[in-house]
Amino acid sequence: MTRKWSRRSIGALSRRGAASPRAAFDSDARQLPARLISLLVRPTTPPLWLGIVVAATVITVETVVVHQLNKVAPQNAFGAVFLLGVLVVSARWGFALSVLTTVVSAVIYVYFHLQVEGTLLPAKPGDWVAVVVFLPVALVANLMAGQARLRTAEAVLRRREAEASRDELAILAEHQAALRRVATLAARGESPSEVFTAVAEELALWLHVVDAVLIRYEGDGTGTLVAVRYEPRETRMPVTGDTISTEGDDVGAIVLRTGHGARIDNHAHVGGAVATRIRAEGFGSIVGVPIVVDKRVWGAAIVGSRRTEPLPADTETRLGDFADLVATAIANAATRAELIASRARIVAAADDARRRLERDLHDGAQQRLVSLGLEVRLAEASVPAEWVDVQEQLSAIASGLTGVSEDLRELSHGIHPAILSKGGLGSAVRTLARRSAVPVALDVAIEGRFTESVEVAAYYVVAEALTNAAKHAHASEVEVSLRAEDGTLHVVIGDDGVGGASSGAGSGLIGLQDRVEALGGHMQITSPPGHGTTLDITIPVAGE
Amino acid sequence: MVLQLGRLRCVIVDDSPRFLDIARRLLEQQGITVVGTASNTADAVRSATELQPDVILVDVELGPESGFDLAERLHDEAHPAAVILISTHAEQDLAELISGSPAVGFVSKSDLSFDAIRDVLRAGDGTEGERVAPVSGPRGR
Repeated sequence: MTRKWSRRSIGALSRRGAASPRAAFDSDARQLPARLISLLVRPTTPPLWLGIVVAATVITVETVVVHQLNKVAPQNAFGAVFLLGVLVVSARWGFALSVLTTVVSAVIYVYFHLQVEGTLLPAKPGDWVAVVVFLPVALVANLMAGQARLRTAEAVLRRREAEASRDELAILAEHQAALRRVATLAARGESPSEVFTAVAEELALWLHVVDAVLIRYEGDGTGTLVAVRYEPRETRMPVTGDTISTEGDDVGAIVLRTGHGARIDNHAHVGGAVATRIRAEGFGSIVGVPIVVDKRVWGAAIVGSRRTEPLPADTETRLGDFADLVATAIANAATRAELIASRARIVAAADDARRRLERDLHDGAQQRLVSLGLEVRLAEASVPAEWVDVQEQLSAIASGLTGVSEDLRELSHGIHPAILSKGGLGSAVRTLARRSAVPVALDVAIEGRFTESVEVAAYYVVAEALTNAAKHAHASEVEVSLRAEDGTLHVVIGDDGVGGASSGAGSGLIGLQDRVEALGGHMQITSPPGHGTTLDITIPVAGE
Repeated sequence: MVLQLGRLRCVIVDDSPRFLDIARRLLEQQGITVVGTASNTADAVRSATELQPDVILVDVELGPESGFDLAERLHDEAHPAAVILISTHAEQDLAELISGSPAVGFVSKSDLSFDAIRDVLRAGDGTEGERVAPVSGPRGR
């Protein structure tokens, strides 16, 4: 089973057009000498009866040959000819047969060619020498041939092992490449469902045909589908956002209960509504692994195949690797969301504090100052007419108090403009435009109110921009437009001043950018030197 | 059209007791009769209906309530008095809301005086004639 799938994965490898360096080597190995050697010295032994037949034939032939040669050169010993047969046999057959051939050859040689009488032993000492030399030489030839055969067998074995390793390595490399592709997505901050969709696509490449879902456990006996990837077909499979029960005996339920991977290859006797659905849809094998975020089982990644044969044995491991990446993406998304939320909270808290400060100032110190001033005016009017000095002093005090009151009012207005709370963003911006030192062309197309933090942010952006236009940009006119559409508040402020503004350190614009971004918005500053400054702000607003 | 004969009758609406006190004393001293005071919308409407003043001074900030809303409310009365908005805030900071309000004008609390009120009423007179309640002789109610 595993072999079958791994061939597929090699198929996947070749589908990707990956060129194996091994292929070139293979063709080199197929050159003629190597082929010949491998033909002669193959590790597989032909059958014994064939060996005996070959030995007998060869010995017979040698006997005839030596007999003929003796006629031509009667004084020479041609025992060496028998060596040929021994070599041939020991090249293909085992040690036992080779030794037998050796002995038989020696006997035949002595019998036929060395003129013995009655016994099998040579008479002349010279013939003894020939036999005594022949035997060890032949035996050594046996040994060497045997070693050559063993070495070849080993070499073939090693080669097969190397090929198997290479195949495994190719599979591993392919898996790592797939992991790296998905990891890149996770590192880039893609959403968990996008990361999971990429995972499902990688699994489909590996397994050919597979359906995959990412489910988030809600902790109340259900799970929500966060991402799905199905093979294209007519089906009524659940879609993203659907709720699935986690009470049952299907893989999703088991993963939640045990916190480990699970596999079911046959759903015939599995209980639960989900398992019934799985059976109805014709799934065979289903494998699931947990997605663990912050040491908690957040959800599960589940793949299923409609084929009859089960998913490969290493599916759980592979899926587990991918599941870790999905968990990373989930953790990143959660962290990012928390960061945005906490920034928004900080900004809202600061705005809240300012508003309360303004309120307290108004209700407390400002009221008292104003009342004091009126008391002094009353006293001034109550003083006898001839007390001119006193009248003048009281008048001066009253004016002084009015002056302090106005200072306090300006201060308070800078902290939080009352009209923003009372009249909303539109009124506040109109007031800003009227107060502006630089003429403002206003286009306010918003109705109704937004949340306080949004209105405050937009107000301060306009206020700062108008201040900058007057103080730094030396502009002659500023255009301000506000409009709200498609759930977005769009504020554009452009002046015809000197440009060159940036949100670098020390610039008031960076604070505005922080404010806007804390609300999930975006501020674009376009300020080429000499061509004026334009601030383009978008802030998401729910409905309107 | 306003004050050739008799004194103006005025109601002051403000959520600060201290200010109500000094404002009443100051205006009385300067020649306006303060017939009543109120601290919230409900009391203000009741006073306006019962006392039928010529002018009502309405603080823009009435605690949680808005003086602009009260101005609208008073305008719906059968014989609406002239409403003048008052505040510690600067007029120009509230100009948008003031111009959109049925009130005849605005007086800064620091500048509160008989003259300031008269000037506002006169100015209102020129633009919205029927708004200003006529005063002619003592009333017998």
